[in-house]
Amino acid sequence: MNLTETATLAADNITLAHRKFTVAKNLSVTLPPGKVTAIVGPNGCGKSTLLNGLARIHAPDTGTVLLDGKDIHVLPSKEVARKLALLPQDNTAPEGLTVADLVRFGRQPHQGWMKQWSRKDQQAFDHAVTAADVIELQDRALDTLSGGQRQRAWIAMAVAQETPLLLLDEPTSALDLGHQIEVFELIRQLAAQGKTVAMVVHDLASACRYADHMVAMKAGKVIMEGPPGEIVSPELVHTLYGVHCDLLEDPATGSPLLVNMRRERSDHARCQ
Amino acid sequence: MLLALTDKRTGLANGFLLLALVAASLSSMSLGTISVAPLDVLGSLLGKADPMTDFVVKELRGSRILAGLLSGAALAVAGCLMQTLARNRLATPGIIGIDNAATAFAVASVVGIGLSLAPSAMALAGAAAATSLAFGLAGANGTRGYRFIVAGIGIGAIAGAATQVMLSRVAIDAANAAYPWTVGSLNARSGHSVVILSIGLVLAAILLAIINRGLNTLQFSDAVAIALGTRLRAIRILGLGLSVLLTGLAVSVCGPVGLVALLAPELARTLCRPGKVPLLASGLAGATFMVLADLLGRTLFSPLEIPVGIITAIVGSPYLLWILLKPSNRSLT
Repeated sequence: MNLTETATLAADNITLAHRKFTVAKNLSVTLPPGKVTAIVGPNGCGKSTLLNGLARIHAPDTGTVLLDGKDIHVLPSKEVARKLALLPQDNTAPEGLTVADLVRFGRQPHQGWMKQWSRKDQQAFDHAVTAADVIELQDRALDTLSGGQRQRAWIAMAVAQETPLLLLDEPTSALDLGHQIEVFELIRQLAAQGKTVAMVVHDLASACRYADHMVAMKAGKVIMEGPPGEIVSPELVHTLYGVHCDLLEDPATGSPLLVNMRRERSDHARCQ
Repeated sequence: MLLALTDKRTGLANGFLLLALVAASLSSMSLGTISVAPLDVLGSLLGKADPMTDFVVKELRGSRILAGLLSGAALAVAGCLMQTLARNRLATPGIIGIDNAATAFAVASVVGIGLSLAPSAMALAGAAAATSLAFGLAGANGTRGYRFIVAGIGIGAIAGAATQVMLSRVAIDAANAAYPWTVGSLNARSGHSVVILSIGLVLAAILLAIINRGLNTLQFSDAVAIALGTRLRAIRILGLGLSVLLTGLAVSVCGPVGLVALLAPELARTLCRPGKVPLLASGLAGATFMVLADLLGRTLFSPLEIPVGIITAIVGSPYLLWILLKPSNRSLT
């Protein structure tokens, strides 16, 4: 698929709160177009909240989220849904819903209440099930699939939305290694086709491996931002997670590899 | 709702339910203390029968069946809507106490307490009051979660008690006039309320056809619905408003026959394809239930008549228990 359309997404000085508790204060983040951005940080640092803020699920208390330079909460909801797709963490579906049913929902932003399923919808559907490799699973009910298959089905729905922007909240949590790599490689493919991707990733190693751009958060603040190869350092890892480690360069990809992770600084020296 | 018809299984389900409704209605016109042969029923509907048959079929039974059909459909659609908004199969207007509150207000108008408004308006006011109160007590979660349901059950109990107090305090004649309201019966209907109900149904059908797609996305999490471009708040307010409107107007015709709102959407969901909110099928199933329950009530112990609300309670309660005890009910609970 060639994306003729591009879109920019940025948070401009936003503050996000759950009830009265401020989770993230004065954040400004811009997603580099056509790249995969990983948002990383310890539990409770506000990374999912930031993603939900960017995806207009969570309205900021102050500041604005800008989609193509316009306030995302002012733009018509459907118009936003044609530019921005989201794969949230909580993806429960009605009992018995098939993969094809789910993927069809991805076309909803392109349909009106009188506008029926068109040829363009069918093309997008076909492309999405091919891209996410769920063609054979189309008629299966979601609740009969394995975790990895189900996640691919949800990604197919987001792909069918044909948006230039794709946001994913921990797309590989609860998946085993094989399925994790499957999903990450699919995400890389989508970026290669021109999508701008942002994802919350729990695992720093995967973020280093699969992201072009990294946003490191702690206690509701962005403490560092840039390509993983440039910003990931033993100091950053210690600041984020309170653990010490050494860094190597992955001989195959050149991305940073975390090794010898430990809680105490002295361990390393003592072992020598 | 047109969209639902593009789906084969859902289309078949709707066709089946429509046939069942027609069959139930025709049987109900034919059976009773005076039996009318099915052919004569058709004759009368086509305007080719003697005045006596015409009177029985159209005046006595036809208008009653129409009232049952419309109120059954309204209650069922209201139930299906409320279940979808609350994402819980137990969250029907009957259980949340909206029926009871609407009844209490209507009884108040019948026995002459309070404002001298028509029962329709009073029932609607009661329904709206109960819903707002349940909302207020549920706090920030809105229709989500159990607080809304528990608050509603409490409000329903209070409204039920209030109805009893009113009935025990007024003169016996007034109490008798109000009695059918409390059990759910098609005996107390007024032509006026039926007309208002049908206007309400037409209005609801148009609005629901417009927000149909958005409603379907409410079966997912809020985040997914928003991501698909659904205007969540607008759809919730409109959906809840329509549910209250339909319940209030239906109660003003037939009283609190709340279990229809629980049973009909459940049947519709079993028959239709998953993934779409089965509003049309629910309405058809609700109408059929009501017509059948009324037919049973009229004929089982004829000439004694059992109110329709009692029949639906007898049939419905075991079904409710079954839903609660059934091992797999993941979809909406």
